[in-house]
Order: sequence, then structure tokens, then C-alpha cells
Amino acid sequence: MGEHVEFMGKDIYFWNFLVLMFFTLFEVGAVFYDTVPGTDIAITKMTVWIILIVVGIVKGFGIAAFFMHLKDDPRIYTRTALFPVLFVILMLWGIGLSNPAGVTDLPSWCTPNWDYAETR
Amino acid sequence: MSGHGAHVENGIWMRAVMMGGILLTIGVLLFATLGVAMADVKHDTWAELEDDYHHEETVLAAQDNISAHDAKELEHLHHEVEQAHLSYLSYRVSGITILLMSIAYASFIGVGGFLNASKSNADDDHGDDHGDEYGGDHHGSASPIIFAFGIMLFLAGFPDFVIACKALLNASVTADLGMLTLSLVGLLTIVIAVSNWWFEDLPFTGAGEQIATSYPFEGEHIRKAGLWVFIMSEIMVFATFFSSYLRMRTEWCTDWAIRDGVEACKDVPEGTVVTASDLLRYDFATLLPGAINTFALIISSYTIVLALKTARNTKWEAPTGFMGKLMPTRKAAIRNYLIATLMLGSLFIVLKLVEWSHLVAEGFDIGTVQGSIFYIATGAHGLHVFIGLLVMLYLVFKADTVGFDEDNAQGIEYFGLYWHFVDLAWVVIFPAFYLY
Repeated sequence: MGEHVEFMGKDIYFWNFLVLMFFTLFEVGAVFYDTVPGTDIAITKMTVWIILIVVGIVKGFGIAAFFMHLKDDPRIYTRTALFPVLFVILMLWGIGLSNPAGVTDLPSWCTPNWDYAETR
Repeated sequence: MSGHGAHVENGIWMRAVMMGGILLTIGVLLFATLGVAMADVKHDTWAELEDDYHHEETVLAAQDNISAHDAKELEHLHHEVEQAHLSYLSYRVSGITILLMSIAYASFIGVGGFLNASKSNADDDHGDDHGDEYGGDHHGSASPIIFAFGIMLFLAGFPDFVIACKALLNASVTADLGMLTLSLVGLLTIVIAVSNWWFEDLPFTGAGEQIATSYPFEGEHIRKAGLWVFIMSEIMVFATFFSSYLRMRTEWCTDWAIRDGVEACKDVPEGTVVTASDLLRYDFATLLPGAINTFALIISSYTIVLALKTARNTKWEAPTGFMGKLMPTRKAAIRNYLIATLMLGSLFIVLKLVEWSHLVAEGFDIGTVQGSIFYIATGAHGLHVFIGLLVMLYLVFKADTVGFDEDNAQGIEYFGLYWHFVDLAWVVIFPAFYLY
């Protein structure tokens, strides 16, 4: 259990909680501004996209590793949790990112040519 | 669970009935305050503003020339009418949601408690502590099979159950009472199965936890392994929602894509495709319910961790000051952390429905592809939260009666895994559907 690891008198759960709260505030804040506050640097759609993905990964890791104890539990639980990831990636690629009518300049490897399906 | 351990009098289950009564009373009081009294005040304000708006509109329509100032005033008034309408909806919907939730809570815990209180005392079955390290003598439980059978019956009649609900609101719709009865029998079977599950679990003090004896979970608690396999399947369920959303999302020329200069959208006018995030993310007030919900889930994840930590802490000491009054004993601390989790989860459901009512009022309903995937994905997540809350009611009951300690804290741990998964799913849903 992570409560045995302490930093500044508080256990790992407390710090994980604070990190999750901070990153949530950060991701909500990211969509409100057109430019970085105090500068003229534009926050583009791609920037927001990257922020959301990075923050999502950090938050997901924090919840799974510390709150769900995967960091301290036997590795078999991590393997169990990661088992569907292969299928999830296949679904995201094969279904989510394979729309031939996609308009957002997806690279060719994720917008396959579906002509064969129409002419078969 | 086989139910090794503590001696539990059946009469203790009447406390569950009392708990149901308290929850129902709180629900009715909050409904009367928010959903009736406050909502009526807000409705009057809305009606007055709407009258003012129509009056102003009629006056301006009679004029030959409408000045820019007058047009702006009218637009401002229209905006106020909309805000007043949304404000009314917030109170009305939150009041009704709280009432319905309290009825569901009260009937679930109350009926379950009543059924268990009516059973003959189970001393002979549960009073002996004869489990060994590897589980010892175990009795299989029929509850999961009865539970699954109940779900089957409920789902078989579910389409007509929905029609019957509509028929209650609209006389022109005819309900198939046969299928409605099937659904209700299914619901009753579910409650019976769950209450029997509780009956078996309540005396559990930790002795006789079943341990897996074969690869790959050898030496691990079977229930924990089972829960992780369940979570594995849940990951796939949410992945289907997310991948279908992604497939459609890449096709839509949203306002954001148009403004960002996406080549394929250059001839598409803005407003052609409206997603939920288009209506939610630009204004602080509209994003607020979703943002509060995100924080509520994270805080509730932390409170359930605190409940588990407190249960496992044999050297727990009561805090000083105000917190000490809230949590004078370890038992009270665990119960109160669980109640805090229950309240935060309930807040999530209330705000979710308030937010949905606002979206529907703005014309974003389930009739569009964007609306369909939004309501299905966020609704499925909300359903998971609600089911978690029903389970949490029992945990609160157990924490208040038998209590949790370092030996039987598995109940909190395993429920916590599910609850954290629900939080994890929201970590993906919130940015994808609300922010992007």
C-alpha cells in the first residue's frame, strides 16, 4: 500500500490527488484561452489536442498506478489491465481512425483505401 | 461470499430500512426546496422576462426603423430570457433527479433490508469461523446466478418497460402490460439476489477469503482477480463508444475544424455540425457542471482511498479539531468517508442531468448523430456511476453496522477498483466529449 511512502509528511495518495486536481484544472483552462495568457502565442487546435492527450495519460497513470494500486500489486494485475489495450488500439485504428470520409488530414496509414470494398 | 465470521442478528437489517427512510426524507425535502419552491421562483422570473421580451418585440415591430441600440437591447433581453430558462431548468431538474434517486436508493436498500430482516436468523450457517488460510469450507452462492437471471428478465421486457413509462406520461401510448410485468419481475429478482448477496456478505470478517490456487493468479484473492477481469471487459465497452465517436468525429466539419482551416471544410458554413463541446466549452457557465463533475469524481476517488486506508490502519488515531468531531472513531471515519463518496457520486448524477437538460433546451438532442453518440457514451458512464452508488449504499450500511477493519476491508478495496475505473473512463470521456 502506498501510504507507507511519505513525502513532506503526506502519503502518496494525497500527492496523487493534488496532481490529478492540478492537471484537471490545467486541461479545463487550456480550452478557454485562444492565446497563452500574457503573450501573443496562439493556442492552436493541435496544441489543445496534445495537451488533452498528455494530461489524459498523466491522469490515467496516476489513477491506475496509485489509486488502483497497480504500482504495488503483483504484476499479473497490470498485465490483466493492459491485456485489452491491444484490442483497444486495433479498434481505435481500424474503426476510429479509418474513416475514408475523414476531413482532418489524417495520414494515409490510418485512412485506408476502401475502393476494393465497393468494387468487389 | 460464504459468510464466515461475525454473528449478525437479522434485526440489524431494519437499520437498512431506516436508512432507506432517511434517504427518502432527504430526497423529498430537497425536491420540495429545489424542485418546487426555488424552481417556482425561477419560473416566475423566466415568465416575467419572457413577457417583457415579447412586449419589447411587439413595440419594436410596430416601428419603421429599429435603431442598433434597440436591436442590441432586444438581443440582450433575449439572452436574459434564455439564461432565466436555463436557471429554472437547473433547479427543476436537480430537484426531480434528487427525488428519483432517493426513491431508487430507498427502495433498493429498504427492500433489501426488509427481505433480510424477514429471514430466519442465520446463526447456524454463519456463526462459526471455520475458514483457513486457503478458504477452508466454502458454500457456493446462488446470488450471482439469480442476479443474472433477473437482468435477463428485466432486459427482455425493457423496450416495453420504456413504452410503459411513456404511457404513464402520455395517454395516447398503449403499454404492453405483460412485458412491463416481466421487467418488473426482473427488477424484483435483481433486488432479491442483491439482498441475498448482502445477507451472505455482512457477517464476513475476512476469514475464508478464497484464494486462487492455479496460474496465473495463484495466491491472489479470487474476487480481486475476477474484478480485474470484469474491468478488462469494461475497458472494451468504453473503447467501442470511443472508437465510434472518433470515426464520426473525424468526418465532421465542426466550427473548430473550419476556423482551423481544414482544407476539406473550407466551403462548409459554420454551424453545420454542432457537437456537445461546441455548446459547452466556450462559456464558463456551460462547462461548469462537467468541470465540477470531473473534480467530484477525483475527490470521490480520494475519499474511497481514505476509507480503505483508515480501515487498514490499526494505529488510527482520531484527528483533532473539527475533523475529530466528524470522525471520533475509526468506524465513524470509514462510514463518513463512504458517505462523502456517495454524496459526490450523487452530485455527479444530478449535475449530469442538469447539463443534459440545458443541452436539450438548446436543441442538442439525441436525434442527431452527434447527440446520439454523446448521450449514449456519457449516459453509459452515468449508469456506471449510478450502479456504483447503489453498491455504495450497502458499503455505508455495513460500515455503520458491522464495520470494516484491517481484516475485512476487501469490500472497500474491490469496490474502490470499480469506482476508480469509472473515474478513469471519465478521464477519457471528459476531454473527448466536452473539451475537444
